Amino acid sequence: MEVKTFQGGAHIPHFKSYTEDKPITRLSPPKEVIVPLLQHMGAPCEPLVKEGDKVEIGQKIGDSEETFSAPVHASISGTVKEVGKRTVPTGGEDDCIVIEADDGPQEFEMKQIRDPQNIDLEEYRKCVREGGLTGMGGAALPTHVQVKYNEQVDTLLLNGAECEPFLTCDHRIMVEKAEELVRGAELMMNSIGAKRTLFGIEVNKPDAIEAVNELIKDRDDMEVVSLAVKYPQGFKSHLIKAATGRDVPRGARSAELGCIVRNVGTTVASYEACVYGKPLIERVVTVSGPKVTKPGNYIVRIGSPISHILKECGVEELENHKVVIGGPMTGLAQPHLEVPVVKSSTGVIVLPPDMTREWMEYTDCVRCDKCVEHCPMMLYPNQISIYAEAGLHEKAEEWDLMDCIECGICSYVCPAARPVVHWVQRAKPEIQKLQRSRK
Amino acid sequence: MVSDTQKLIISPSPHLKAKDTVGSAMRDVFIALLPVVAVAIYFYHVYAAFLIGVCLVTAVLTELLFRKLSGKKPTLHDWSALLTGLFVALLFTATTPWWKAAIATFIAVGIAKELMGGLGWNRFNPALFGRVAMILLAPIFAFVDDWFAPLATYMGSVDVATQATPLAMLNAGMEMPPLGQLFAAFPGGALSEVSPLALLIGAAYLFYRKHITWHIPAAMIVTVAVLTLIAGENPLYHLFTGGMMIGAFFMATDWVTSPFTDRGKLLFGACIGILVVIFRVGLSPTEGVAFSILIMNAFVPLIDKAMKRPSFSEPRKQTQAS
Repeated sequence: MEVKTFQGGAHIPHFKSYTEDKPITRLSPPKEVIVPLLQHMGAPCEPLVKEGDKVEIGQKIGDSEETFSAPVHASISGTVKEVGKRTVPTGGEDDCIVIEADDGPQEFEMKQIRDPQNIDLEEYRKCVREGGLTGMGGAALPTHVQVKYNEQVDTLLLNGAECEPFLTCDHRIMVEKAEELVRGAELMMNSIGAKRTLFGIEVNKPDAIEAVNELIKDRDDMEVVSLAVKYPQGFKSHLIKAATGRDVPRGARSAELGCIVRNVGTTVASYEACVYGKPLIERVVTVSGPKVTKPGNYIVRIGSPISHILKECGVEELENHKVVIGGPMTGLAQPHLEVPVVKSSTGVIVLPPDMTREWMEYTDCVRCDKCVEHCPMMLYPNQISIYAEAGLHEKAEEWDLMDCIECGICSYVCPAARPVVHWVQRAKPEIQKLQRSRK
Repeated sequence: MVSDTQKLIISPSPHLKAKDTVGSAMRDVFIALLPVVAVAIYFYHVYAAFLIGVCLVTAVLTELLFRKLSGKKPTLHDWSALLTGLFVALLFTATTPWWKAAIATFIAVGIAKELMGGLGWNRFNPALFGRVAMILLAPIFAFVDDWFAPLATYMGSVDVATQATPLAMLNAGMEMPPLGQLFAAFPGGALSEVSPLALLIGAAYLFYRKHITWHIPAAMIVTVAVLTLIAGENPLYHLFTGGMMIGAFFMATDWVTSPFTDRGKLLFGACIGILVVIFRVGLSPTEGVAFSILIMNAFVPLIDKAMKRPSFSEPRKQTQAS
């Protein structure tokens, strides 16, 4: 079997054994959901409901006139308790719609409303938009924006790499929902006019590779690309490079490279949006960590507070722990538990104190070059970190800071525990200012 | 019950961290030097042990002093001071007066490292800097010798310490000891020069722990071997004598004072090799390796800049079609 990959990167302990064999199960709905009006890249939604309104599960409760946006839906039936500021997983506070559950049925009724064999492009695009579909792997780009016919695009690349430690939600989706995945891929491939679909899957998920292969073995327009187990294989640029061999120059949109990259979860959800008219009101979330009593891959309502999720999974002791939404390499540590999971939340990971990087203080760079050796972007995180820490933004820019994808490998391998990504994130807006002032 | 009062940790990603620390790496280098320390003590008995002890203590005291003066927290736990102390001791002969080794250690830790901004900011290998400073400043220290002379300690006789070093023998055209003996263990010269084999065992450990890569040692050794061969000498004698082995595997590979990239490391190693041969074949034989490494240390920023690799996002001239 040919295994493809990219240069650089690192083997990080993957901690997937906690949940990789756990079948997807439903978590009971919470008593209250907090649905942020901005869960995607682009313009926020305007609320379509007000305090005291009754809402039905699946009802659209927020939308925007902007193209670059995606509507949000009620993930439970009940009463709107509040439209106001709440803590969101991306940090800070933002407008949210809080819904209190009522006693009515809390499941979305799945009945087929369209024949998957018979959906035209226009209809597909409309379904995806109205369903509020966004990238579910992390970037959260509104899906309908990319669903248009584009002559240049020859390849649909489905991202099943799932290179982040702990996360197994995409893995389980590929194993358990392979059929919906392949059908969803077919819909998407046809809608964008691509000639082939590649499923990029890391080889540590042999059951997923087998499940997909079993379904596509008679097709010559679909193929599984086996990827080496290496972080950050699932980042778009590195997936494209590994799977197609194409270079990904800065500023290039993937469509210009002839590829559209889609997360496998998004693909299944867009299939369900088309065929069953089911909006994106729930998703598979990996809840994991060494001290989580019931780790697993759970179908969780969008807007469920993590307090509800952790309680259901038997987490009690949290003093000095880190609760991360997303994966442990790029996810965000949350300040408290009344933060909701959103469309792009891949996981809720509970890290005990001895696992997080706080066990040591950072020191000066000792030029060990481990970050240079592992940087998947071929950058010099050591130089960048020194300049960014000191606020020498022009020097940092010279060393290509703006190309950084913030994957976190440098900080992970750094024996001096330097928070490189933090400084990079701080420096980027400053360098953008510099760049604008030069124009 | 999950309560709201429990304190959660918030900090930037990534949240995981590999277990390696600067301290654990420095400790590994210390461990890697233990074989050669053992051989040195075997040959020079209490002389070697005493010299090493003096340097370790001086290194620790110097770091504490300079950290105190600059108002920074002591960083003894990173093992860097101890390691520099050990390196300095290994660069001297066993019968070196203890105050000379102590002053060299003071210069290494205090001036070459702490005054430069601490570990990570030193441009020159501290131990080599301290050692070479003692050579260059020898005239000044001549009278220091006189002050300290009454403090000299007699610790029994060591016959082996007085014989010519193999490198001096090589230069004087004397009959050399058998290569095998030279490689395994042969007294003469600095403590670190007693056994290339012991150094290689330590180096193997460093490779295994991934603290060093093959690039610098290989470039250095191949360059020296080829050039001495061209000069009509037996390369093996050059490799197994003097500071060649400790220089190639322990000194030139110092994290702080070597280039970033593999290509940079190869160039760095090759240049050191060329300088070593110039020093040994053309000039005076002592401390050629030390001088060569220090000279190339100065070029590291230039090498890093010249050898900068293109970013993954840098547009390539020819785009490959799949």
